[in-house]
Amino acid sequence: MATSVSALTRIRSARLAGMTFTDYGFYVLCGTAIVLLATQAVLDPRTFFQVLDFGIADGAIYALVALGYTMVYGIIELINFAHGDIFTLSAVIGSAILGFFTVSENTFSLTEFVTLLLVFPVVMLMIGGINVTIERVAYRPLRNAPRLAPLITAIGMSFIVEGVMYLWHGSAIIHFPDLLPHGPGFQTYIGGVFFTFKDIFVIVAAVILVSLLAVFINASKLGKAMRATAQDRDAAQLMGIDINRTISATFFIGAVLAAAGGIIYGLYFNNLDYHLGFSVGLIAFTAAVFGGIGNIPGAALGGLLIGLVKAFSDNYVGSRWTHIIVFSILIAVLVFRPTGLLGMRVPEK
Amino acid sequence: MVRTRGLVVLTMATLVAFACGSSSGPAGSKGTIKIGSDLPVCTVGGQAVQNGIQFAINQKNAAGGVNGYSIQFQGFDDCRQGSYNADAGVENVQKMLGDSKFLGMIGPYNSAVAKAEIPIASPQHFVMISPSNTNPCLTKDLSTCSYHPQDLRAGNANNYWRVVTTDDYQGPAMADYMYKQQSITNVAILDDSTVFGVGIASAFEAEFKKLGGTVAKHSSYKKDQQGSDFKSILLSFKNAGAKAVYVGGTDDQNICIPRAQMKQLGWDVPFGGGDGIETTDCIDQATGNEQGILATSAGADATQVQGAAQTIADFRKAFPGPNDFGGYTMQAYDATNALMAAIGRAINNANGSTPTRDQVRSEMAKTKGFVGVIGTYDFDEKGDTSLKIVSIYVVNGKLSADQVKNSTGVCGSKTAKDACFVWKTQFDFAKASS
Repeated sequence: MATSVSALTRIRSARLAGMTFTDYGFYVLCGTAIVLLATQAVLDPRTFFQVLDFGIADGAIYALVALGYTMVYGIIELINFAHGDIFTLSAVIGSAILGFFTVSENTFSLTEFVTLLLVFPVVMLMIGGINVTIERVAYRPLRNAPRLAPLITAIGMSFIVEGVMYLWHGSAIIHFPDLLPHGPGFQTYIGGVFFTFKDIFVIVAAVILVSLLAVFINASKLGKAMRATAQDRDAAQLMGIDINRTISATFFIGAVLAAAGGIIYGLYFNNLDYHLGFSVGLIAFTAAVFGGIGNIPGAALGGLLIGLVKAFSDNYVGSRWTHIIVFSILIAVLVFRPTGLLGMRVPEK
Repeated sequence: MVRTRGLVVLTMATLVAFACGSSSGPAGSKGTIKIGSDLPVCTVGGQAVQNGIQFAINQKNAAGGVNGYSIQFQGFDDCRQGSYNADAGVENVQKMLGDSKFLGMIGPYNSAVAKAEIPIASPQHFVMISPSNTNPCLTKDLSTCSYHPQDLRAGNANNYWRVVTTDDYQGPAMADYMYKQQSITNVAILDDSTVFGVGIASAFEAEFKKLGGTVAKHSSYKKDQQGSDFKSILLSFKNAGAKAVYVGGTDDQNICIPRAQMKQLGWDVPFGGGDGIETTDCIDQATGNEQGILATSAGADATQVQGAAQTIADFRKAFPGPNDFGGYTMQAYDATNALMAAIGRAINNANGSTPTRDQVRSEMAKTKGFVGVIGTYDFDEKGDTSLKIVSIYVVNGKLSADQVKNSTGVCGSKTAKDACFVWKTQFDFAKASS
């Protein structure tokens, strides 16, 4: 047994022209994928770019959710399983708030625009508060407990949040008001590819949010505190950083992004149910691991790539294969590059 | 043991029946025969069916009853917490079986309830006629069924009939409509991987190919994995050359979201499915693109049958409430009259005295050429009607408030409140096969 393990290690660490075999494996996989896609792009560019458009729009939503997973993992090494349900809850709350206004669907006027501008910050603040509360109640008391304990409370929180939504709406499908403008005037063909306002809205909104996050993490004092806490919690504390506040802020910002993602999802698909967070959460978590869990640009990239893989698989291979393909890629990436695409910049503790 | 007890009850029933028969006094009323019903009366649809039964029995009693007997109607409710419940249905059937005056029942409304009730009623030869069960497995042994009709009856003679046709005609009806009436020769099919969705999609595919059409692509998805995103699947359909989309599935599996997302491809082709999409949720899911959705329903729309117009007008006079009339009210009316006709023949066979349940059952099985308001019914040995009518509905999104109020099809509730399923045409598979 010991010999076989050491043999494997030897093969893994064997180097050829400065790179290990696993590196070669990784580049061969990437190369194959790029060649396959490039062939399609040349053969039928319209379809290729249309799928690309859909994939980026979907991936943008996954990216917003994946960021929350990766930020929380980066700072306290917890996989916050409730995050997907926080995402769903934000869409459900958003739908309820929009229900109070007399918005008229399928038409877009100043009323709808103002309502939308109001709903985003309101839901983001509410969900941020809920997530901070969850952290305070279910995770903070267990911060020094064995790693398994907060993982179990996270799964518990996930079921509780789902349960609350189930009590609220039952298993029925929840309609999210269709407020984004569509129809003639909000759609166009560019080079044979059909673009709608909805797709563009999702992409632009996600880019803005991710850029704001990047600026916040890299330039603000709190962002610096977060990075410091993620690197070494004890040292950060010794330097005078309020650890509890910093971790709360991380949960808050993760939830704010998930809330924005939830409303964007609602506006884009107009259809929810209480169970939605399970699958979206799982895929977003996969995206975070894909990009390198704990790594913020990695989560954004991972989300985008998962969205693209799903779209390409649905179109070129068949929807029944999509999950098999997504998770095969995940396994392949982790086998050849255990730290994910961009790797973890945080040192292993 | 069960069989012995059944025999005892049967003997008792016969004795009581004879007792009643002999004690009958004045002419015109030799006694009472009870007809029961088992319906989800808490729902608008269930109540509307019960009204149809009551109306048929009132008419019959006013005209002198059945061969000198007056008919007494007693409706049972199988609702629990606002929705139909098979256990409640079984309890109701047991109550009817316990009273020997009950010679038959109309119902149940839901196929799942029928599946639980047939095994209870069949050893006692208790006639059940459903006005609305469309699940084929209750009478047909199809490969898609999870149970067998003969197991439900456990060796007893068939005691179950229905006046509507079965879901396995829904797919073929839409195939005929798209191919023959809309001249579509190339379609793509999407199913939701459920037993119902796969079954109806396969039936559509087989018929469409038989007619000479091409199926450009057939894709399946599972809601847990697919979520709400169908754009890339739709794009592959479009690129495969499809000129229409057929969906096999139900709205709770997100089957109508593809309709909304066709707009994001700029792809405007017909979109059709079974009764799983003839729903309010479907119109809401298709937000902004509900216009023109096609759906089938296993059964005739009585308001479109000329022969039913007078009866419906009479019914509306007797039951004037806005929700008193429903999609299966006239089916219930026909079912009740078929049952009363069988009871009448059974009374003759019993020389004017109260017949046994088995006599009624055996007369019901002999029903041939029964003229109802929706059509003329023959029943096969399994209990299915020869009247194989499937209706096609299309969403019309520009209805007036009055039209919405009087619509026989369902309407949208969120995005498109002025959009309802409107009757378009019907297919009679009995005529097609003869």
